[in-house]
Amino acid sequence: MRMVDRISRAPWIWSWFAAFLVWFATIMVTGGASTLGLSQAALTFAAFSIIVGIGQMFVITLGPGNIDLSVPATMTLAGTVALKLMDVDNAMILPGLITAILIGIAVGITNYALIKALRIPPIIATLSMSFIVQSAAIWTNRGLRIKPPSFLADFTTSTTLGVPNVSLVALVISVIAWFLLEKTIYGRWISAIGQSTPAARMAGIPVDGIRFITYVFCAVLASLAGYLLACFSGGAALNMGTEYLLMSIAVVVLGGTAVAGGDSNVPGIWGASLFMFLVVSMLNTYGLGAGFRLIMTGLIIISVIMLAGGRQPGAR
Amino acid sequence: MTFRGMLLASVAVACAAMPVSALADTSDKKIALSNNYAGNSWRQAMLTSWDKVTGEAVKAGVVAAADAFTTAENQATEQAAQIQNMILQGYDAIVLNAASPTALNGAVKEACDAGIIVVSFDGVVSEPCAWRIAVDFKEMGRSQVEYLSKKLPEGGNLLEIRGLAGVFVDDEISAGIHEGVKQFPQFKIVGSVHGDWAQDVAQKAVAGILPSLPEIAGVVTQGGDGYGAAQAIAAAKRPMPVIVMGNREDELKWWKEQKDAKNYETMSVSIAPGVSTLAFWVAQQILDGKEVKKDLVVPFLRIDQDNLEQNLAKTQAGGVANVEYTQADAIKVIEGAK
Repeated sequence: MRMVDRISRAPWIWSWFAAFLVWFATIMVTGGASTLGLSQAALTFAAFSIIVGIGQMFVITLGPGNIDLSVPATMTLAGTVALKLMDVDNAMILPGLITAILIGIAVGITNYALIKALRIPPIIATLSMSFIVQSAAIWTNRGLRIKPPSFLADFTTSTTLGVPNVSLVALVISVIAWFLLEKTIYGRWISAIGQSTPAARMAGIPVDGIRFITYVFCAVLASLAGYLLACFSGGAALNMGTEYLLMSIAVVVLGGTAVAGGDSNVPGIWGASLFMFLVVSMLNTYGLGAGFRLIMTGLIIISVIMLAGGRQPGAR
Repeated sequence: MTFRGMLLASVAVACAAMPVSALADTSDKKIALSNNYAGNSWRQAMLTSWDKVTGEAVKAGVVAAADAFTTAENQATEQAAQIQNMILQGYDAIVLNAASPTALNGAVKEACDAGIIVVSFDGVVSEPCAWRIAVDFKEMGRSQVEYLSKKLPEGGNLLEIRGLAGVFVDDEISAGIHEGVKQFPQFKIVGSVHGDWAQDVAQKAVAGILPSLPEIAGVVTQGGDGYGAAQAIAAAKRPMPVIVMGNREDELKWWKEQKDAKNYETMSVSIAPGVSTLAFWVAQQILDGKEVKKDLVVPFLRIDQDNLEQNLAKTQAGGVANVEYTQADAIKVIEGAK
């Protein structure tokens, strides 16, 4: 019983529970025939939300007001520039990847420079940054869709032992993120900053340095997701990041991470990302109209958040 | 003869050589383009066409200026403010691709009251004082099913990919598709997803619904979503249905590859982004004093199996198959509406 009790109090359990329920309801439409196809599709598409969601989670954990709205633009710029550089050449895969990551680092540094040096609130700083980055993406290639190198295209669209490769990448990143968060001093520090910045400062935590690293980390994950997504969908498009703005925030909140900061968890991101993909698939499969579909999506998200947020304050 | 005299004489000769309509009294008029969105390949092509055609028109002295402005956030309120700025800046005509068919009516009315000609296209506005250059979106949807009925006489299951929920264009094309299905009852729509006219969104939505669908004979689309659908269907290792394309370069390129590899057949239909240039010439004609009906219809651009290569060659990489309109085209459209 203590085990059940402990699990039901884990903040991430609700997103997993919801994801499973929706998954089950969807495969029942075909009497289970769609199990493999749906699971693989869900894992594939959830992978991108997981990667950007983890970055956003680190930033949100820093406490109230911390958010990165430049995620979609960073994804687009990294995807377009990297694919243009690789130009269908398998030998250029590594330089392309490095370029994507460098773009992430540059965006992250500029983001934090705006926040710190110019004292602009993160929500404004990252939003204005996203305009600049998006314009840079438009300017670099005007929506030109260059195919990814064949090796990358195959890698991102195929599976290993039935598991999509992109979700394996997401798994590796998640394990690293979990390790950083739970097992290193860095993870303790960002939680401490999120719970009380003044207290953290007095305790001698290098607050500015940690915030700086976290914003860069988030932007790098966004650029990595953009790189993978561009390869997966057969080329970068100017609007490819758009839906990941709300998505990156939604999976963090649904996953049971405290919006006020200071408390985060990695497994919840997985449950929430799978859920966000599956809920759309379910409502599409049931053939509901768009208006109803959006209302249902909203209602389901609200109920999951209510359940997940139902834990006692102080039970932390 | 002095240098100035020579110059004047050559100008006079040049003027005499020009067709009369180009020598309009619009040479001191300023036209502005108010555009609500620039973040996809169609809009990029639209803006490029505008720059190209109006740039030449300004150089030729047909109009004094033709400046393009795009709002950052795709919001009606922002675009309304933009239009108010244009009124203050003293433009003589505003060519408008609107974020909303109704929400800009107030600003459009203000412009009309200030004596400014407003010509809306693609995203048209319902304000009666403005001109509308609309596409027969319903027919665009219906013609897809008609094509499929010839291609697949025995009929079959269709997957419908819609656009952005809540947008007028999406409702119109979808209504046309459903009309077509009624007309050709051998087809049945077994699934419908929203692809937001974007390849990656369409790919995601199709991948999610595909496992629970029976075999699909055809995919009806709205443009910008065919390549994503093809990617999703290929990834699920299903037989490739007839996917109606939407004139995007990536879609046409994919079609060409499939055509060469296994004689894949389909068609492609969309509006040419160059419709912005038609709107420009219509605005110029109205400024010139021409009587123009408030509602004009522009034909859509269709690509078939036999003219695929020709259209693909003309389409800019990353762009959309395009037609740029001339002043003569505009006059023809105006005459045709009378």
